Amino acid sequence: MIKKICIRLLLVLFIIGGLNAVYNFTLYDSLILEKYPEKFRILKTQDSAEVFYFGESSNVTYSETDSIKNSISEMTNFFFPTLKIQTITKYATHAGIYKYWLKEFDLNKQKPKAIIVTLNLRSFDAGWIHSKLETQLQESMVLTKSYPTIINRFLLSLQAFDNKTEQERELDMLNDWKNTELIFPQEFKYKTVAQWDRAMAAGGYLKTDGSWDMAKINLACHFIKSYAFNLNESNPRIKDFDEISQWCDENKINLYLNLMAENYQFADSLVGKELVFLMRQNRDFLVKRYSNSNCKVVDNLESVDGKEFIDIEWTTEHYRYKGRMRIAKNLANSLKDQFKNAYKEVY
Amino acid sequence: MLFNSLHFIVFLPIVVALYYLLAQKYRWILIFVASCYFYMAFVPKYILILFFIILVDYFSAIAIESAQKKQKRFWLILSLVSNVLLLGFFKYFNFFSENLETVFSLFGKQFNPINLEIILPIGLSFHTFQSMSYTIEVYKGKQKAEKHLGYFANYVLFFPQMVAGPIERYENLGNELKTPHKPVYENFSNGFRLILFGLFVKMAIADNLAPYVNQVYEAPFKYNSVEVLTAVLFFSFQIYADFYGYSTIAVGCAKMLGITIMDNFKTPYLSKSVSEFWSRWHISLSTWFRDYLYIPLGGNRVTLPNWSINILIVFMVSGLWHGASWTFVAWGALHGAMLLLERYFSRIFNFKIKEKWSFLNVLLVIKTFIITNFIWIFFRAKDFANAKDVIKSMLYNWQIPQANLDFRLPAIGVFVVLLSDIFIYNSRIDTRLSTMKPYYRWSIYTLLLFGLLALSGTQKLAFIYFQF
Repeated sequence: MIKKICIRLLLVLFIIGGLNAVYNFTLYDSLILEKYPEKFRILKTQDSAEVFYFGESSNVTYSETDSIKNSISEMTNFFFPTLKIQTITKYATHAGIYKYWLKEFDLNKQKPKAIIVTLNLRSFDAGWIHSKLETQLQESMVLTKSYPTIINRFLLSLQAFDNKTEQERELDMLNDWKNTELIFPQEFKYKTVAQWDRAMAAGGYLKTDGSWDMAKINLACHFIKSYAFNLNESNPRIKDFDEISQWCDENKINLYLNLMAENYQFADSLVGKELVFLMRQNRDFLVKRYSNSNCKVVDNLESVDGKEFIDIEWTTEHYRYKGRMRIAKNLANSLKDQFKNAYKEVY
Repeated sequence: MLFNSLHFIVFLPIVVALYYLLAQKYRWILIFVASCYFYMAFVPKYILILFFIILVDYFSAIAIESAQKKQKRFWLILSLVSNVLLLGFFKYFNFFSENLETVFSLFGKQFNPINLEIILPIGLSFHTFQSMSYTIEVYKGKQKAEKHLGYFANYVLFFPQMVAGPIERYENLGNELKTPHKPVYENFSNGFRLILFGLFVKMAIADNLAPYVNQVYEAPFKYNSVEVLTAVLFFSFQIYADFYGYSTIAVGCAKMLGITIMDNFKTPYLSKSVSEFWSRWHISLSTWFRDYLYIPLGGNRVTLPNWSINILIVFMVSGLWHGASWTFVAWGALHGAMLLLERYFSRIFNFKIKEKWSFLNVLLVIKTFIITNFIWIFFRAKDFANAKDVIKSMLYNWQIPQANLDFRLPAIGVFVVLLSDIFIYNSRIDTRLSTMKPYYRWSIYTLLLFGLLALSGTQKLAFIYFQF
């Protein structure tokens, strides 16, 4: 009986192999186009592009009053008119996704000369790590697994990926804020994000009539939750960036980590110097960790003025024209060493 | 744990392998542990509710067996009340509380409804009904009380059918669990066929119908009449494929362990009348209500008016069993009413449906399908307003431009279900496949595998009946 079962199991495996070929030939492309279009964009442009820009929504503008709508990557490209910079962006993406994008490059073809990866400070916070948008991002990543494509498709149907519910993610986030201790060089009255947030929420700002200024309180709380953390090796995003850095190093591709600007002025005035201290400390950690012969960190953290942020009532990294230009210029300055001949002063 | 999860695909072969490796006297421990693990993958603490049901009914049954007549009744009532109260608390408390508010307001009084913010333990209606049938049978003297707590626990907990049936009787499942089963090739091959087919029906058909149906039922007034009609039609097949798929997997999993459990469906959409539909749809529930409600109410040995009332009661209770909402009651009542109409019609006109297939029978099948299809609206709609919107949109939205919802894959699914029902009419998929030539059989496996692996839905969807 065991022999009979084994023969049939082998036959099933053989059939699955055949079905995989049929699937690749018929339905695979449409699925990738729907769920993971970044793969196509990388493969289709790999031969023509020399530099790839990986980012999220910080690259573009949402401001209707912006007279110039070019993205940061496009503006960077203005400095190198003969260089082809290919932009691959996806809303709410982070290093945990970028690392999969890298693996889509066919290294037997023309290798990119440089890869620019957006380094968003907020992407290290618990709010982003446990974001409800994560399930959707993880869904497409199941298609990158190294199994036959038809098996990956089946895993997608089985929801065999990190598909926690919104409630579960929220619980993880709250636990992180509650349990992760904040470390300051000197004594600080709040030990965790949750404590700090609670204190701010309990009337941290008052209006002239003595009532709570909820708009300011909400924003201050949001700043605390977004930036109050101490970066260290255990942060999952650090592990992702380590993988990105290692991959680029192994494949001799220059890596530029484009650290996005944050509204530190607002953080200072709204929450206080302790929060700015943490932001700077985390920036220093990133610069130190990733600056080496193969990788550069383009430090834009404090390079955009507060009024150049589109969402002044939120912490998102969306910049007006001048802000985007500032970042593009910083990035171009870093790229200049590698692409001296292509560089042209435009602004 | 869901059948359509990677977790289960790993879990089942391990349990099957261990089951046959263990000596019969230890197998109940394996089934018990596996079933607890299976159930605890949902909300772990709710296993305590199941333990409560098991203990109450286990001891009640022993007490019933050894007690005198009056005491027998006491123990039976104790068991039934415990089960019903448990079900009532978790499933109907909020419903009852909300309705009490309406009743109070009718008399101009105010009542603030209490809303228990609890998640309904998965499959609670199934466990309680299965367990209750056991104590009732012991009370009737048709079943001996089980002395081995482990075997009885496994009867309530048996993982293939614990969360959505079929609702088994102790006479069958209890004995099957006790019987030593040897690994037999036919059981593995039939189990494989049933699981493959069940997964295909659930994942490649029901889960592809769901997005279309959900979208239209969410805001029916936005869609053209054709699209609403299509959604109503699709839901009939979605619920069938979903529940039939689940039940088929359940039967297949049990078969892998050498255990035979009852079939819950027999091509219901090929029924020629509503009464036939109910002998083919969710058979384990229909027979439960027949044996434990319809017959105690008098069955068909009462006057026609009484019988009519009994039928309506049985169907309305059956509707309420599905969910704590008046739409479910309406769904049951409409089925009951249609069954009565059929009976009156056949009495008045002395009309009898012939078994032999004819053109008239085909028309009767279509008629029965249209009726059940329409009544499903009340089952799917979230409330009466939603049901009204669906019906109105179906009738009056001809002028609205079509939203161009993609119906191709769902429509193929519907066609496949119909085709497979015709193929297995009055039989079962594993039986039909086993009689085919290997070449054809493996061709069907290949198609099923392709559908399952490459075309299954990609949204996170549990089995619909899990909520009951």
